Amino acid sequence: MQSEDLAKALAPVLGDRILGVEPFAKTAGRLRFRADAALDVFRAVKEDLGFHHLSMVGGIDWVSHREVFYVAWSDRLGQYLLLSTDLPADAPHIESATPVWPSANWHERETWELVDITFDHHPDLRHLLLPDGYVFHPLLRSFKLHEPEELEVKKRSV
Amino acid sequence: MSAPPPQLPAKVAPANAESYRLEGDLPMVDHPAVPFVEIETVRAQEFIPAAKEALSALIAEQGQSKVIRPTFNWAGRNSLFPLHWGLACCAIEFASAFSARWDSERFGIVPRSSPQQCDLMIVNGTVTWKVAHKLITLYEQMPEPKWVIAMGNCATGGGPFRTAYSVVPGVDKLVPVDVYIAGCPPRPEAMIDGILRLEDLIRERKE
Ligand code: SF4
Repeated sequence: MQSEDLAKALAPVLGDRILGVEPFAKTAGRLRFRADAALDVFRAVKEDLGFHHLSMVGGIDWVSHREVFYVAWSDRLGQYLLLSTDLPADAPHIESATPVWPSANWHERETWELVDITFDHHPDLRHLLLPDGYVFHPLLRSFKLHEPEELEVKKRSV
Repeated sequence: MSAPPPQLPAKVAPANAESYRLEGDLPMVDHPAVPFVEIETVRAQEFIPAAKEALSALIAEQGQSKVIRPTFNWAGRNSLFPLHWGLACCAIEFASAFSARWDSERFGIVPRSSPQQCDLMIVNGTVTWKVAHKLITLYEQMPEPKWVIAMGNCATGGGPFRTAYSVVPGVDKLVPVDVYIAGCPPRPEAMIDGILRLEDLIRERKE
């Protein structure tokens, strides 16, 4: 399936909730959508186009804004589809994809802790890779690597 | 005629029974429906302090001995049981040290899967803050006397990930370490050498 066919198939269902479909290497295309219509777009992509499997969710910090993207797979087409949307840099949040694709659960937890994008109505938004109570978001551009602080070396008692 | 059965002690808690209670009440102590458990508990409360006292006296006396302590150390250093686990890439070298080619079992080093059967923890890989409290739990479950070997650059000081956001800069910040092995990863020979150095430490052990 080409990106023009995708745009044609989705236009009657979603109307202006999608901002455009661009060709993207090795995928069916890159679908840009409006963040406030996220759930409708996910449903349409899953049920109307048959992208039943969500293989990853990720985020990018572009400093001026954040981007969140989803990669869905269709067994019938044998193709990936990229969905992406831009979020404001301060307090970025988007509706969780877990009602549509349950596999989004852990990917969204990871995106939340690393790139600080909040997923509304997520069933279990906790730390996945980082320890509980970790306050930084290490994949943001503003996060600087540093020498670890001097910690006390433990000594044997016996 | 056989002798009469020994009399069980009366069902009274000793005066210092309170000090053996855990946080809150032990439900079985005051429960009238289980007299056997109650008697056993009262007995244990009398027995434990006496046994502790006798044992520490024995250790204090024999710790100085020219026979008991060296024998103890000899047995200990020739049957080191490391914990069988792996944290990162160094675990591959750890595993090959027990393969046919290097065969660490000839030194009496036998990896065990439960920390309660181990006296040596070889930290073979990168320790992240996420796994730190699990490492401490495993360490605390090991019976005394116990030793720790930091294997590889990651365990000794954070290694290539020292400045990373999620890595403990050296496992000696969590538990006391006896021997450090450098290398990324150390070869199995280096790991065996580290264990032999630990055996030297145990040979000198007085306490
Ligand atoms: S020291 Fe090197 S080989 Fe060992 S765990 Fe660290 S990175 Fe891996």
